[in-house]
Amino acid sequence: MFERRRSKRTIFALATLAAGALAVTAIPAQAFNVHTADGVTPTTIKLGITIPLTGSAAPGYNKIPAAMIAYFNYVNDNGGVNGRKIQLVVKDDAYLPTLAVAKTNELILKDKVFAVIGALGTANHIAVSKSVNLGRRGVPDLFLNTGFSGFADAKKYPTTFSLFPSYVMEAKIMGQYLKDKFPGKKLGLIYQADDFGTDALAGFKQAGTNFAVKVSYASGSQSAQTAAGWVSKLKAAGAEVVVMFGVTTASGAALATSAALGYKAQWILGSVGGDATTLKAVGVPAVVLTGAIGASFLPAPTDTSDPYVAFFQGINTKYNGGAVFDNNVLVGMNTAMMTVQALRAAGANPTQKGLVTALESKGSTFASAGLAPLNYAKGVHVGYNGYWFGSYNSSGELKPIGGDYSVYTTDSGAGAIAKSTYVRPALPANGLPTN
Amino acid sequence: MRKFFGHSSRRLKAAIVFPGIGLVLFLLSNRVDELRVYQGANVAVFVVAIISIILLTGYSGQISLGHGALMAVGAYAAVLSQIYWHLPVILTFVVAVLAAAGFGAILGSAAGRLTGPYLAGTTLALAVGLPSLANQFGFLGGEQGLNYDVGLPPAWLGADFTQYKWFFWISALAALIITWLSFNLLGSHYGRNWRALRSNPTAAALMGIHVGRSKVLAFTVSSGLAGLAGALLAMTISLVTPSAFPTSLSFSIVTGAVLAGVTLLTGSIVGAVVLVAIPEITGALATHLGGSEKVTSNLPGLLTSVLLIVAVLLFPNGPQAIMKRTRKSSQ
Repeated sequence: MFERRRSKRTIFALATLAAGALAVTAIPAQAFNVHTADGVTPTTIKLGITIPLTGSAAPGYNKIPAAMIAYFNYVNDNGGVNGRKIQLVVKDDAYLPTLAVAKTNELILKDKVFAVIGALGTANHIAVSKSVNLGRRGVPDLFLNTGFSGFADAKKYPTTFSLFPSYVMEAKIMGQYLKDKFPGKKLGLIYQADDFGTDALAGFKQAGTNFAVKVSYASGSQSAQTAAGWVSKLKAAGAEVVVMFGVTTASGAALATSAALGYKAQWILGSVGGDATTLKAVGVPAVVLTGAIGASFLPAPTDTSDPYVAFFQGINTKYNGGAVFDNNVLVGMNTAMMTVQALRAAGANPTQKGLVTALESKGSTFASAGLAPLNYAKGVHVGYNGYWFGSYNSSGELKPIGGDYSVYTTDSGAGAIAKSTYVRPALPANGLPTN
Repeated sequence: MRKFFGHSSRRLKAAIVFPGIGLVLFLLSNRVDELRVYQGANVAVFVVAIISIILLTGYSGQISLGHGALMAVGAYAAVLSQIYWHLPVILTFVVAVLAAAGFGAILGSAAGRLTGPYLAGTTLALAVGLPSLANQFGFLGGEQGLNYDVGLPPAWLGADFTQYKWFFWISALAALIITWLSFNLLGSHYGRNWRALRSNPTAAALMGIHVGRSKVLAFTVSSGLAGLAGALLAMTISLVTPSAFPTSLSFSIVTGAVLAGVTLLTGSIVGAVVLVAIPEITGALATHLGGSEKVTSNLPGLLTSVLLIVAVLLFPNGPQAIMKRTRKSSQ
């Protein structure tokens, strides 16, 4: 009896299986083969971004998409780009490479976006580049928010365009700044023991900077306890000027601990660990930051005398619900403005290939808030190549020393470090590009 | 042989059912769009990971919140064997299984002395700490990771054969083989020993089962499977990096196992589909509902937690157990 029921069940299972297989073969293949549209209709252009909205990396970065949408909405209210309204599809990758790949796949295969804009995170984007392979698919991958020098390889990543200067450039420029402003002082360095730090060491070597003491830390090991160890090493070596080339949680720990231990050095923060609002978000009081030196390629977000900043602040009030206007909002709106110019440059009937070519040929002339020049050209896919230095005031804002935004520029190789004479294009009338 | 492969009618059934499922999957992969194929590959990866938990928790009664770390061990072993020994892809998967199983054997020997929350705590510490070790040693590639490349699909499959379809074929085949092997293993005297162990370790010992050895064996086998899942996961993103194995991954696969009904092998597919579908469902839900970013971005976590609680409350043995029960009562 038992056996019979069992064999009945087996037969039933097999029948279901066979029926399923038949049903699958019966469906015409076209039913599933959706035509790959490239996100452009007569009235819309669809773009996508993956960014951490949740998780440990979210504070700060999660403000970028809203800022981009705010500027796009402003442009849309003024006629859009060649009559097309810009839509931005935002996906949360929680700063995990697995999710970044999954979400980018959704953007490209389901939402069928025209281009990916402003993706963030080095490991995430290496995974995306390899697995999704935006280059082979011909999907433009614009204004990447990372300084990893690897993405500069235009042959390997033919559709990828970075925005930030590389970490090598940053370290080279910082080395020159140390030489100019702090000659004869004893120098110290704290860096992260991975590729991020390796890029930094390469840059300082190029600049010929000699540190009296170098302290490395493993990513993830930073805390008040480990920072006490760094400070005691720096103190023992008598470092008077200390470069902090690490992530925000590390620079926060270093500043807070040295203040608590009464160690007074001139701190110089790298751009990654030097965003004032993020430092505030991880609990570093402004008073600890006061007097430290930081680097940036954008004007200070509080500098209302800067026409770009003043304009974006207006957009922020009207279209972004008056969010706290910081570097992240500025980066988001600036990226959006450059995107609009790239889309305009691609012509009335934009194609993905045309967008890449347009950015290569005209990208260096785009109006942008950046004080360093944009370097896009055929085979050159790295945007800004320079930094200015400022000091943090008592409310934690990075201000140019003596109001002087002097920008140093360089490359990621053996090229010279020069004081830039670049004058950025004026803000387009009403902030609406006409290129 | 009979000891391992069990009853002959079961063997016959398996010989028909598994190739049958394989055929359906093969036909499906030619019909659905590329995104579904990619998600299918992820489902297959999770099937392997969930089975590793089912073997451990559902059968031998040990709890692990550290399987994400064992997946990382497998993934790193696979990628290192590819970089330094230039092994063919299939052998890198074997290396992943062996390395993770070896690691699991050592861990299991220590963990065998612990039970319940103590074991959970120990394995959790592993999940938190182990992947970030990669940042300490240069040859492990740090946060930027190591490129794990299983190569393009063979040319004879045609120009239309996408990379994701290739990933799907590899992982689906692996999942099928693992499911089949696990069915046989659990039907063998090892499986019976583990079940006896889970129900009552003292009684099992009295019946002559070596409790310690059986526990370590379960941990070793489970770890080996987790290692394979890790290598497959790394394949789908073509990269091995610590952040691919966050603590939340360990929780996810345990959630998947609970949704599967921790004692049901066939439930693993249910758990895996749910894990892959949740982010997309919540994404669609969020767009539909609108609302603030704070709400929408936390929806996936909320939904997973609610599902977990509902599953434990309403059907602790998985949705299939309910189906079985209703079928029995109607008969």
